[in-house]
Amino acid sequence: MGEQKRLLIIDDDPDFVEGITSILEGADYAVDVAYNPDDGFKALQTDPPDLLLLDIMMGRGAEGIMVARKIRKDPVLREIPVLIITGIREQIAFLFPGEPVHPRFVAVDELVEKPVEPDFLLERVNALLEAAEARKTETS
Amino acid sequence: MKDQYKVLIIDDEEVVLDSCTEILTGGDYEIATAADGKLGVRRVQEFQPDLVFVDLKMPGISGLEVLEQIHKIDPTIVTIVITGYATVSSAVEAMKQGAYDFLPKPFTPDEFRLITHRGLEKRQLVLDTIALRREKELLRENFAAIVSHELKSPLGAVQQNLFTLVGELSDTVTEDQLRKLERMKSRIADLVDLIHTWLRAISVDIETIKEDFEPVSVPSVISKAVESIEPHAVRKAIEVVASIEEPLSPVFGDEGTLTEALVNLGNNAVKYSHMGSEVLINAKEEDGHIVISVSDKGVGIPEEELPYIFDDFYRAKSGKATAGGAGLGLAICQRIIETHDGSITAESELGKGSTFVIRLPVYVSDTNH
Repeated sequence: MGEQKRLLIIDDDPDFVEGITSILEGADYAVDVAYNPDDGFKALQTDPPDLLLLDIMMGRGAEGIMVARKIRKDPVLREIPVLIITGIREQIAFLFPGEPVHPRFVAVDELVEKPVEPDFLLERVNALLEAAEARKTETS
Repeated sequence: MKDQYKVLIIDDEEVVLDSCTEILTGGDYEIATAADGKLGVRRVQEFQPDLVFVDLKMPGISGLEVLEQIHKIDPTIVTIVITGYATVSSAVEAMKQGAYDFLPKPFTPDEFRLITHRGLEKRQLVLDTIALRREKELLRENFAAIVSHELKSPLGAVQQNLFTLVGELSDTVTEDQLRKLERMKSRIADLVDLIHTWLRAISVDIETIKEDFEPVSVPSVISKAVESIEPHAVRKAIEVVASIEEPLSPVFGDEGTLTEALVNLGNNAVKYSHMGSEVLINAKEEDGHIVISVSDKGVGIPEEELPYIFDDFYRAKSGKATAGGAGLGLAICQRIIETHDGSITAESELGKGSTFVIRLPVYVSDTNH
C-alpha cells in the first residue's frame, strides 16, 4: 500500500470515538475527529479525508443525516466514501417510516451498527477505501 | 379550535336553503348549499364540510342514502337530518345510519342556530379525539426512538472500548482475565438485546408486517433459527436437533419475524434446559397446517403457570436456571404467530420439559384463478 490513509470521524460521543480511534490507529490509519456536525463539515471541506465515519444521532436529533445530505450535494465531497455508524438500525426506520431500513444517504455508503467488532470495522473501512481507489483509477 | 367551520345544507326546498343560510350569516361559518342528494354528495367532496344538514325527503337519491355516502367519504363529518314529517321512525332510522341529531320542520331560527352549534361542538370533539390519538401514536414512536438512543449510546461506547481493550491486551492478558472481559462483553450484548426486545414490544406495530407477506419456506426459517440458537446452546453443551418431515408446503408470511419467533422459542428451550441435554425442533405438515414444535427436557413449567406464559412481562418463577430476559419473548412470539393467522400452544411437565407448538396455515397458491 502507498501513503497512509486519512480518516475523519464525526461523532458526538467521545468515549465511543476513543474506542474506534484506537482500533483504526492500530491499523495504521491517520484519524481526525470532529465532535459535532458543524465542525465535521468544516473539516471535510478544508481537508477532505479518504473516508468519513459518520454518526447519525447527534445533537438534537438525526443531525448526521444533514451532513450526509450536504455531502451528496457537493461534487467533490460526494466522491468520499462514507461509513455510517449508528446506534441502532431500527432508529433509521423510525426516522424514515415506510422506507427501507438502509436508505441511500449518499452514493457510496455503508451502514454498520454500534458497537462494531474491530475486525469487522477494519474490513469495512478497507473495502470502502479500495472501492474508492478503484473508482478513481477507472475515471482517470 | 378551527378558525371557521364549514356547514353544508342539502335540501330540495330553496326557501329552506335561503332561510338557513340567512340564519347562520354573521356567525363565523362558511356556508354551502345543494338542492338535491347527488349534488350534495359532490359538494361534500369539494367543500369538505364539518357539519352537513340533510333533508330526508328529497326527489332523486334519498336522504338516508346521502347520509350513507357522506359517511363513506368521511366518517368524521357530523350529520344532522332535517325531517318534514317529524315521525320518530324516520329520525331513528337516520340516527342508525350515523346521523348525530335530527331537526323537525318547521323550526325557528334559534332552534336552527342551537342545533348548528351543538353539531359543531360534536365535530370539534371528534377532531380533538383524532388529534389526540395521533399525538399518542407519535409519542409512542418517538419515545421508543429516544429511549433506545439514550440507553444504547452509553452501552455502545462501553462495548466499543471493551472490544478495543481485548484487542490491545491480547499479548499481555491472562486466560482468566480474558474470560472476565468476554463475560463483560456478553452481558452487555444481552443488555442491548433486552433493549431491542422492549423496543419492539412498545413501538412496532406488528400488523405492518402483513404488507410484505410472501410464500416462505419453513426449512429455511428453521435453519436460520438454529443458526442463531446454536451459539447459546453450545455454551451449555446442548445439542439442537432439527428434523423436517418432507414434503412441506410453504407458509404465507414474513420470514424475518417467523425466524424471530422460532429463535425466541429455541433460546427459551436452551435457557430452561439442563447442561448437556437436547433441544428438538420438528416440522411436519398436518391437515393443511405446518406444525413446528420446539421441545426441551428442561425444568418445565408448573401447570398453574401455563395459562399466563404468553402474557407480557411474564417470567417463569420456578426455573432455577433463570438467566435474565425481558419476559416478553413468548408474548412477542404469540403476536407474530397470530399475525400469520396461526396459533401457538404449550405443553409442559414439571421437571421433565416443555414443548411449544406453532401451527401455521399452509400457503395455497392462487395461480389457478
